[in-house]
Amino acid sequence: MARRTDALGVTGADTIIGPGVVVTGNLYSEGDIFIDGEVTGDIKTVGDVTLGVNAVIKANIAALNVVVGGTLTGNILAQGEASITESGQVHGDVGSAGLSIANGGQFEGRSRVISAPQLGLPEDHED
Amino acid sequence: MYYYVVNSAAGRGQITHLEEKIRSRLDELGIRGEWAHTTGPGEATKMAAEAVAKGHTTIVAVGGDDTVNEVMNGIRDEKVAIGIIPTGSNNRLARQFGIESWQQACKVLAARRLSSFSLIAAGQQYFLSTLTLGFETDLDKRIDIAATGWRARIAQLRRGWGTARSFESLHAVIKADDDFSLECDLFSLSIANQKFINPLADNKLLVSISDRPGGRQLGSYLWQLIKHGTSPLEEEATTRFLAVRVVIETKPVSGIMVDGKVASRTPIAIRLTDRRVKFITEKLAMGLRT
Repeated sequence: MARRTDALGVTGADTIIGPGVVVTGNLYSEGDIFIDGEVTGDIKTVGDVTLGVNAVIKANIAALNVVVGGTLTGNILAQGEASITESGQVHGDVGSAGLSIANGGQFEGRSRVISAPQLGLPEDHED
Repeated sequence: MYYYVVNSAAGRGQITHLEEKIRSRLDELGIRGEWAHTTGPGEATKMAAEAVAKGHTTIVAVGGDDTVNEVMNGIRDEKVAIGIIPTGSNNRLARQFGIESWQQACKVLAARRLSSFSLIAAGQQYFLSTLTLGFETDLDKRIDIAATGWRARIAQLRRGWGTARSFESLHAVIKADDDFSLECDLFSLSIANQKFINPLADNKLLVSISDRPGGRQLGSYLWQLIKHGTSPLEEEATTRFLAVRVVIETKPVSGIMVDGKVASRTPIAIRLTDRRVKFITEKLAMGLRT
């Protein structure tokens, strides 16, 4: 898909879940995912996952890099970096190549630093 | 051998003034073919089917979006290519293929770049490009995008503005593939084959949902629609995702517009099909010259 900036100011995300939108079930993507709404279910992608400040997520996330700016209840498995921004809250475990928590960000769980080969990619999703 | 299906009524009959010029240009380009004129709705479908049965491998729709859709629905053979010479009031499909005028269309036909697109099924109906519901469908009933002259356009703009103000968002539940369901209030929803947006992308349904736009965005959208007949509201989408099949329910029930024409209503299942059509386009995708 063409990379572009959207109404939310998101550049390049293939899947966008905007504020006020409630998703129940599993989100799979072959690209980046940006969520600013509510999701209950699992999230898997070979790209990045970004949770906006309005995001309320109850899900396990498997992705390349994960940025949490909203509230996540669930585990993160990131092949690359996991980041919790100043507005982010994570209630769950994080497995990643590196974890950063900004001043004000909240993390309640265990963190494991895992080398990339151990992580593997999320299973392919058949469309 | 080219077969030209001409909608004589398209574009308020402007083809009667253009036909000789178009034929002359096609002669120069060496793609003169057989011509047939429709006399009523649905006839282009029959003509296209008959032309294919006679062995024609290129069917050209001379008209607007309705004519293209009719021709497309008459072709089941994936080897047959469809061309467009836009002479209708609504030429959105041609524009999506990068064709802005009949002069350019003649060159495009001669260059013969082919792109293959999967058709989308909405209920029992097949379509090529874009399905919308919500505000845009409501708006279509209230304004005339073919209005010309600045006074008429300003009047349409004001009417469109009023329609937007009074439009109440729809509550929608959308089931995507077997993966997830999504619930939201929406102002507008569009579903397009993403290959129309990016010719190099796979055929897949791109579902775009828009919230109520701000005043500036709305004014810009309405003006673009009235001036150019284009619909950029999907670019303001706050939610979008890819799928192969979606089922949409709305409260209240909403009309659905397919390629610019009101065609059905919710609830409806929309899916990408295995049926493909080949178009001659200006934008080179993964097609080959044949």
